[in-house]
Amino acid sequence: MKTRIIAKLDVKPPCVVKPVHFEGLRKVGLPSDLAKKYYEQGADEVIYIDIVASLYQREILYDCIEETANELFIPFGVGGGVKTIEDFSKLFHAGADKVIINTYAVQEAPQIIKKASQIFGRQAVVVNIEAKKWDNYWECFTDCGRIQSGKDVLEWAKEVEELGAGEIILQSVDTDGRQRGFDIELAKKVVQAVNIPVIISSGAGSLSDIKKLIQEAKPSGIALASLLHYDTLSISEIKEYLFENAIEVD
Amino acid sequence: MNNIIGVINYGVSGNIYSIKKALEKAGGLVVIINTPDDFSKVDKIIIPGVGSFNDAMLELENSQLLMSLKIEIKKKSTLGICLGMQILSTLGFEYGTTKGLGVISAEVKEMVVDAKVPHMGFNKVEVLRNSALFQGIENEEFYFMHSYEVVNYTNIISLTDYFGHKFVSSIQKDNLYGVQFHPEKSRDAGINLLKNFLAL
Repeated sequence: MKTRIIAKLDVKPPCVVKPVHFEGLRKVGLPSDLAKKYYEQGADEVIYIDIVASLYQREILYDCIEETANELFIPFGVGGGVKTIEDFSKLFHAGADKVIINTYAVQEAPQIIKKASQIFGRQAVVVNIEAKKWDNYWECFTDCGRIQSGKDVLEWAKEVEELGAGEIILQSVDTDGRQRGFDIELAKKVVQAVNIPVIISSGAGSLSDIKKLIQEAKPSGIALASLLHYDTLSISEIKEYLFENAIEVD
Repeated sequence: MNNIIGVINYGVSGNIYSIKKALEKAGGLVVIINTPDDFSKVDKIIIPGVGSFNDAMLELENSQLLMSLKIEIKKKSTLGICLGMQILSTLGFEYGTTKGLGVISAEVKEMVVDAKVPHMGFNKVEVLRNSALFQGIENEEFYFMHSYEVVNYTNIISLTDYFGHKFVSSIQKDNLYGVQFHPEKSRDAGINLLKNFLAL
């Protein structure tokens, strides 16, 4: 099966921004424009994360999401500050196909995952994990790498699967935005720890980084941000490369 | 033209917005079905597909749509998408055992496969018999997003292979159609499938 190539938009409304190590934001454009651009390049999915909703404790901005969902005939995952079943519901109605949750589930009430999955089906419930590497384990962070949770990433990955999450997006606080390669060891461990699809994010800088990740960690998908935002590579170039070299997960 | 499509609204679940957009892109007019009276305004029906089997049936019952939907789908061309296809079956086993609409003799069970579940992503659809729904799009990939599958032997239009496990990816019985994948999320191939449905 081919690894999904996913464009990730980190949004600080109204703009997509590119945090480096989750800090130092740079504006890169409007989410609707970028979503359209990546759709035309052949993205398998688009992910939209309001990176400040949780931190500022405000509701995600629905207009911005509706506008981005427009003309996007591929799956659209949305997250940022999600806390209640009503939030899930509103996001689906605004055009999301999957809802992404992190902070509230990690810090306050993991049971929201179970509840949401019973109502919306597990395929629509995605858990975002921000991992930070310590000497011999990875810890879950929230709020864009600002807040520690004390939770072990591998334990948490298994827990969210058990609770009913349909998919995990794995980000690395250490490699995010640097474009110097993925944390392959982390990716491998999380992919092996669970039986649900895992999307790996944070660190792609070149075609060989992507090839190495697919061959060694066998993820279901790869989420790309900086690499696309700075036009280092386009999704069509990546897909062509993977196709020509017959790189897929078997 | 018989192109007014009613999309069933099931309350909290459902991805109505995406389906509506895709249908409009395909050239259809959309009416959202909220009450039994709305059925009189439409020529065809789409049952959308985000949610769990028992929640969907419960919502249909609560919204008073269940009885009229059962009658309407006997008269009008109907397309069930993902969960919308699944609930055409007799029984579902997602979070307990739930009775479906019972118009296709099938059961809905969790996928058993030596691979990651849910099955998510673009995958090939192997069309086994001629169907107007797949006219001109027989060799395309469509987007799947599910962990349950319809087990049926008599109404199959297509199968899909997921790591060696073949499952039913579309069905047809008379005027009833069901697709396990999401045409509204499958780029041009999906829009073309909706065009085919509009042209029925």
